[in-house]
Amino acid sequence: MAADYAESINSVEVRNLTVKFGEFTAVDDVSFSVRRGEIFGFLGANGAGKTTTIRVLCGLLIPDQGEVQVAGVDLKADAEAIKRKVGYMSQRFTLYDDLTVRENLAFAAALRKISPEQLRLRTEELFGFTGFDRSVNSLVRDLPGGIKQQVSLIAALLHQPEIVFLDEPTSGVTPAARLRFWELIRSLSKNGKTVFVTTHYMDEADQCDRIALMRAGRISALDTPEGLKQSSFPEPIYELELPEGDHQAQAAQVAMLQKVNGVGRLQPHGMRFHFTLTHSGLEEGVRDLLPETAVLRRIKPSLEDVFIRVVEAREGGGEA
Amino acid sequence: MNLSKIINPTLTGFIRKEFAQVLRDPKMKIILFLIPVVQMMLFGVAISTEVKNIRIAAIYQPSDTAARHIHERALASGWFIPGKGQPGSEPLDWIRSRNADVVFVAPQEGLTAALQRGGAKVQLLIDATNVIQAQQVEGYLQGIASEVMAEETPVPRLPIQFDTRVLYNPAMITAVFMIPGVMSMIITVLTIILTSMSLAREKELGTFEMLISAPVTTGEVLLGKTLPYVVLAMIDVPLIMSVAVLAFQVPMKGAVLVLLLAAFVFVCTTVSMGILISTVSRTQQQAMMGSFLFLLPAVLLSGIMFPVENMPAGLKVFAYINPLKYFVSLLRNIMLKGGDFQVVALDLLVLTVMGALAVFFSVRRFRHRVS
Repeated sequence: MAADYAESINSVEVRNLTVKFGEFTAVDDVSFSVRRGEIFGFLGANGAGKTTTIRVLCGLLIPDQGEVQVAGVDLKADAEAIKRKVGYMSQRFTLYDDLTVRENLAFAAALRKISPEQLRLRTEELFGFTGFDRSVNSLVRDLPGGIKQQVSLIAALLHQPEIVFLDEPTSGVTPAARLRFWELIRSLSKNGKTVFVTTHYMDEADQCDRIALMRAGRISALDTPEGLKQSSFPEPIYELELPEGDHQAQAAQVAMLQKVNGVGRLQPHGMRFHFTLTHSGLEEGVRDLLPETAVLRRIKPSLEDVFIRVVEAREGGGEA
Repeated sequence: MNLSKIINPTLTGFIRKEFAQVLRDPKMKIILFLIPVVQMMLFGVAISTEVKNIRIAAIYQPSDTAARHIHERALASGWFIPGKGQPGSEPLDWIRSRNADVVFVAPQEGLTAALQRGGAKVQLLIDATNVIQAQQVEGYLQGIASEVMAEETPVPRLPIQFDTRVLYNPAMITAVFMIPGVMSMIITVLTIILTSMSLAREKELGTFEMLISAPVTTGEVLLGKTLPYVVLAMIDVPLIMSVAVLAFQVPMKGAVLVLLLAAFVFVCTTVSMGILISTVSRTQQQAMMGSFLFLLPAVLLSGIMFPVENMPAGLKVFAYINPLKYFVSLLRNIMLKGGDFQVVALDLLVLTVMGALAVFFSVRRFRHRVS
């Protein structure tokens, strides 16, 4: 199996995973794989099954059904071996508030039987990596959210895991700390670690290599952010900014444009308009119809748009 | 101080962590080391069945020296104060009108005369609204009467109808009897609440997730979460034991080592109960509730306050499966009597079996909950 894994490009393989809590099906027949070294995002509302899936992948929960392989280890065969190979940072920074940074890290190291010398080397390295610059003797409860998050990540990385599972790592920290944290995630991935991250934030999902949209225990869509935008919005989207001035002239121009074949409905967005074209070849023709001072640019749909459209498509499909 | 080389590094980590948490918190230090001492002092005085200020009235002829001596000695003992009795009215009315708690009635011919004849009957009228008090009063008077008899009649006969010998606690100081009970109560409350709360706290705050996301064994987590509290309890035992001996003059007749061994077995049992309680609680509050659900019946059915022998058969069953009962009995036996080997060994054996069962079930239940 180890030889197989060395050649495999996937660090996580999940087939037909189902997890039930009594009558409630938290994860419903989910299959996906995560490639080595990629940043894999799990996007979805609370209760969509993200945390449950992560807990299975970390060896914390035995699934009712399905095949799970993490870092080449079969979950059914050896959940403890998985625990040795992955790092897990859960939603709430799981540090002891009444212990100092040093004590917390020492305890995390003791849990994984890391020797004091190794611990010293690793913390030095990880302090440098995360930019942790507080005193190791400060109590965790006195630290701001962003720093707690750093310490939490350091604790999850002490044993040099191949895969890091981050469950909503940026909930409740400042935007600046979020940005810094995502830089860390990118450098982890650059160093060859697989990063599996769940989030609520669309801008964070945009930074993943691939994302899975999870809804009601199922994966509704899985692709790169670009791919998702492409498949949800196959037609190019444009934004039109008309010169300021005569309202009547503007209205006339909008009405005129709306009649052109291949132009989708013009949706006002503040002072601007958004619309789709059936294909980008029409762009030149549209530009010629507009006054020279008008600005026409092609824009990208946001992931939020994608998320809404995917969810709507699913629900529409369900009703039909 | 390099523990990690001798024992499992995970366990060492746990012990360091638990001690750091407990000893950093000033509140915890108070709970662990000050409150037990304060409780010992308070309960030692308060939970005492010793009755004082009993109002005594007596009816005897002025010439009846034996009766007079008993009356005088009763008043001098500190337990009794003079009650009011109106000459001419019925002694029963003195009690009914709440002017006396007890009336001592010497025989018609006089106690002295009766004794000289060979035997005597004394009538005692006791207000038994408070049964425990009534028993005490009878006991006190019997004691006093036999003392007087012993002095007045040099040749021991069988003068008065009661023949009571008060063993082990000749002064009938109830503290001596109550203190071992209070000690066991304090140890029980402390260990059960601390253990169940400490695990529930990890669950409530989510740190338990981190614990089990590491490749630790159930045994390591269990030992790691209990061993520190066993150690802390074993620091508390000699502490409250010294309060018992120094502040309440409770004798320490038996071997301290045997007592410590019994305490260790008992603490292992209660700590396991704490683990069991924590497996059914998700928050610290639930753990607290669960602990009290166990503690209250355990204390009531332990023989600390009410003798197990006097309990109805149905409740006796619960008393006999109550580890606290055996620990109280062990403490009393070792401290007050010096510990008859057979009695101590039997109690210790039962306690050990119970401890082993508690450990077994808590481990099983804990393992089941984690996976």
